[in-house]
Amino acid sequence: MGIQELLSRFGERYLLALLTTYRLTASAFALALLLGIAVTVLRVSPIRPLRAAAELYVQIFRNIPGASLLILLVYALPYLEVVLSYYAAVLIATTLIPSAFCSEYLMSGVNTIGAGQIEAARSLGMTFLQIVRTVVLPQAVRSSVLPMTNLLVATMLTTALASQVPLNPTDLTGIVSYINTHAVGGVTAFLISAVLYCTTAVILGQLGSRIDRKVRVLR
Amino acid sequence: MNDAKLSVRAALYEAPGPRTKRRIVSATALSMLALAALLTAVLHRFYVTGQLGARYWTLFTRFSTWRFLGQGLAGTLKVALVSSALAFGFGMALMLLRLSAARLTRLLGTVLIELSRGIPTLLFIYFFFLVAPQFGLKLPSFWKIALPVSLSAAGVVAEVLRSGVNAVPAGQTEAALSLGMRRAAVFFRIVFPQGLRFMVPSLIAELVIVLKDTTFAYVVSYADLMQNARVLISNHDALLSVYLVVAVIYILINYLLNRLSVFAAAHSGTAGAARI
Repeated sequence: MGIQELLSRFGERYLLALLTTYRLTASAFALALLLGIAVTVLRVSPIRPLRAAAELYVQIFRNIPGASLLILLVYALPYLEVVLSYYAAVLIATTLIPSAFCSEYLMSGVNTIGAGQIEAARSLGMTFLQIVRTVVLPQAVRSSVLPMTNLLVATMLTTALASQVPLNPTDLTGIVSYINTHAVGGVTAFLISAVLYCTTAVILGQLGSRIDRKVRVLR
Repeated sequence: MNDAKLSVRAALYEAPGPRTKRRIVSATALSMLALAALLTAVLHRFYVTGQLGARYWTLFTRFSTWRFLGQGLAGTLKVALVSSALAFGFGMALMLLRLSAARLTRLLGTVLIELSRGIPTLLFIYFFFLVAPQFGLKLPSFWKIALPVSLSAAGVVAEVLRSGVNAVPAGQTEAALSLGMRRAAVFFRIVFPQGLRFMVPSLIAELVIVLKDTTFAYVVSYADLMQNARVLISNHDALLSVYLVVAVIYILINYLLNRLSVFAAAHSGTAGAARI
């Protein structure tokens, strides 16, 4: 099937699929950032049990395969009488995994600051919150632009998990299997999705490194 | 790396005074209560829905269950190892393209690396599962999972190799060239072996990604850990417990691989970055 025939038959579906992938990516990334920040706060807090729990959280979601997590959410949770919609299950899976990596990146961002600066700030008489607000966070945020860009792209790639559950409209990966079961889409259907993913990833990457060059702390 | 982490964390707080100490103690007690309550709530959920029932868990006391899961795990490890080896080969080729002197091959290398890194593994899998057969390319299920997983990892491997090679000081190349060595010999005998030690931590971390990606093997019905778990589930009618145990197995293996990567990083003086 040629690209024109394919687009005239499935063009609208493609647009919806692209929007579904973007919508999932944006919401999962926003939620993952919030969760990641919260978990990081717990990980640097002086309260041991919370620290341990946050550490466990990160290790679990850093290491669990996406398919395994999604299957648990979709097929196992109903046995606990917790029934999620397919969309919610995909959103949760694609939020939890990136949130663990988000926390890892933030932790290494905090670590680049160096203890000397914090000691210097304290010797100036700054309080804990002042130090965090004016010394730690501005530098940590600036140095985490590139990792966060990578995280955004990785989150988009993780949303391909959506193709494993029946969603309507499907995501950008799901549409390839949809087209191939309804018609002989052949290689074209695959290529369109691949190009859309890749272009998005490259554009996001370029944007990220442009912002990074502007705000980076030179050491 | 680990020392720096501890010191920044420790440096954030000054030695607590008596009042802060009391506060920390009470916050610790409260948070322990809260965590215990959370755990109880989860266990209660399991209890009221009958998921703690013996019939869901006694199968794990049988040797045959573990042998069957072990066979699945062997399948997972086999496909993960082959995919990693392939990814290393593909990644090496992509890196050589990217570092080559001719502009056209360099561009080709860049494009292929971006393609490999920018396409989800599942899309590659659907290519080999749905699209390739339409061209008469009938692969055994092992290759239907090994090829896409390795193609999807190749781009990252290429970048890891490239940054390792770039970390070797230029003086090494210059010295080797001035001794009259050929470019290829300089690269493969001088630069690459020295760069390897910078690459090892990230390459081990890449194993984790490959292993995670192999869980999609059920799409092509290859008998991996996940697929064998499915069989167990239909035999014993115990979905939740089996999938939970399998998830824990995956998490433990990946955790150990990550520790190994950190260990290798500490010994080579580099840091392997965490990747999804």
